[in-house]
Amino acid sequence: MSFTAFCRRNLGFFKLAVASNLEYRLNFLIDSTVQPLVSSVVEMVLWMAIFKGAQAVEIAGFTQNYYLAYALWATFVARITVNWMYEFRMIEEIDTGSINGLLIRPMSYFEYYLSQLLGYKFITTIISFIFPVIFISLLELPTVWTRLPAALVLIFYYLIFVYGMSFCISSLAFFFNKVNSLTVTKNLALWLLTGELFPLDLMPENIKNFFLALPFSCGVYIPVGYITGRIDHSVLLHGFKTTTIGLIIVSVLGFFLWRKGVRSYAGTGA
Amino acid sequence: MLAPELKKTLIKYLVIYKAFIKASAIAEIEFRLNFIMRIFNDIIWYAAQIFTFEVLFRHTKLIGSWDIYQTRVFLGVLFIIDAFYMIFLQENLDKFSEKVRKGELDLLLTKPVNSQFMISFQRVSVSCFGNLMIAFGWFIHSLLQLQDVSWGRVLWIFLLIPCGFAILYSIRFAIAALSIILVRADNLQFVWYQLYRLGMRPDSIYLRWLQIIILTILPVGLIASVPARAILDPPEFWVYAWSILAAPLALILTSQFWKFALTKYQSASS
Repeated sequence: MSFTAFCRRNLGFFKLAVASNLEYRLNFLIDSTVQPLVSSVVEMVLWMAIFKGAQAVEIAGFTQNYYLAYALWATFVARITVNWMYEFRMIEEIDTGSINGLLIRPMSYFEYYLSQLLGYKFITTIISFIFPVIFISLLELPTVWTRLPAALVLIFYYLIFVYGMSFCISSLAFFFNKVNSLTVTKNLALWLLTGELFPLDLMPENIKNFFLALPFSCGVYIPVGYITGRIDHSVLLHGFKTTTIGLIIVSVLGFFLWRKGVRSYAGTGA
Repeated sequence: MLAPELKKTLIKYLVIYKAFIKASAIAEIEFRLNFIMRIFNDIIWYAAQIFTFEVLFRHTKLIGSWDIYQTRVFLGVLFIIDAFYMIFLQENLDKFSEKVRKGELDLLLTKPVNSQFMISFQRVSVSCFGNLMIAFGWFIHSLLQLQDVSWGRVLWIFLLIPCGFAILYSIRFAIAALSIILVRADNLQFVWYQLYRLGMRPDSIYLRWLQIIILTILPVGLIASVPARAILDPPEFWVYAWSILAAPLALILTSQFWKFALTKYQSASS
């Protein structure tokens, strides 16, 4: 199999995800813009109330505008780095046996959904990031625009790690059938661990260090903290390092779970 | 005394509901991993909410008009209502859109039972009963930590929590019923969670205009904030009266909307 054929095939999957998600435009717009926008408003209002209650100019060394910028970026970045749809789809395919139609194709199941996830997140990023860019500019909230490309690279690198986790959970469907709740558990845990709820630097030092040592902080805190100027380059590089370690772990785990799972798979629904 | 006809209808629905509980319990326990994970999920969700406010209160004494002890009581009220929602509604209303798309709604419509009842209460999440106990435990624990708790005022929750729950059901059901009109609007269901987030924060944090909106037009503020205010703040009888009036009003409007939506229903399975 040539590398060109591999690239062409995956570009096809990528385009397929873009087209299928844009097919239902209302659905897509709600997912990419309305949801994070409402969420941003709620979080920004919360931060205004916190500053009013604290009667302080700064909290943990940052002014209100830093927190508003964080809240605005965080909800949009979190939409990019979370995976619900494709993970549920993969679990269902294994559970119902409809995966059979994909297993016989000359491609790997892993690449099929990875390329689709990247395509879907790519188009979501393009559309949804218009809003934080506009609001940040209008409200003059702190953002270092030159840092945005590096942060986006980390976001998409982390997304591959997130997909690795999704692949592991989906592979468990070979053994347990109904594992949808595991997806919810994982995403709820990530909600807390990524720093979507609040900047991780507000936590006690030891807990913050523990959270930063895990790759999950690259889901929100590190890229958003980097864009908004809360953290410096060294933390971003640390993020790349932890994500790489996480990626290696989930790849090895995913490989074994998949191999064992396919061997025991009875082809239900075939 | 109930009219014989009404009594007969009530008994019929109670018998049906008992059968729903039994069938749901059997279906849930069948997939044990899923069952355990569902219990675990809500514990993570509670922990995330508590953890967020505990961290935020490290940096401020007040959020809105409440201190940490009062906010813990608010969270207790929120957890109780959410646990009821998880037990009785979540499973049914989250899958509403899917039922419409796959044509499963046809089966429910042909049954000699109220269709709104069937689609709203067919599944009961037995695994979430444990969450209700955790929620009550947290609520009582946070009440005991309050210095000046008026136990007489606590009695208001027996009236205001059911009202909050009725309002929660009405809004959620109305949004779910929109899928009949819009057909492919899965993500519209996620908008519900963003709106619910507005209600998951004490209403006193919001700007006056937003506070008025969430207490009137989009009454998510009546779900948990008003019952909590009945315990924590000086009595505001007009707000309680509005909550008591809004609950049946919301249920009637929901029922009317359901009838309207059904006139637009185009069976997917035919």
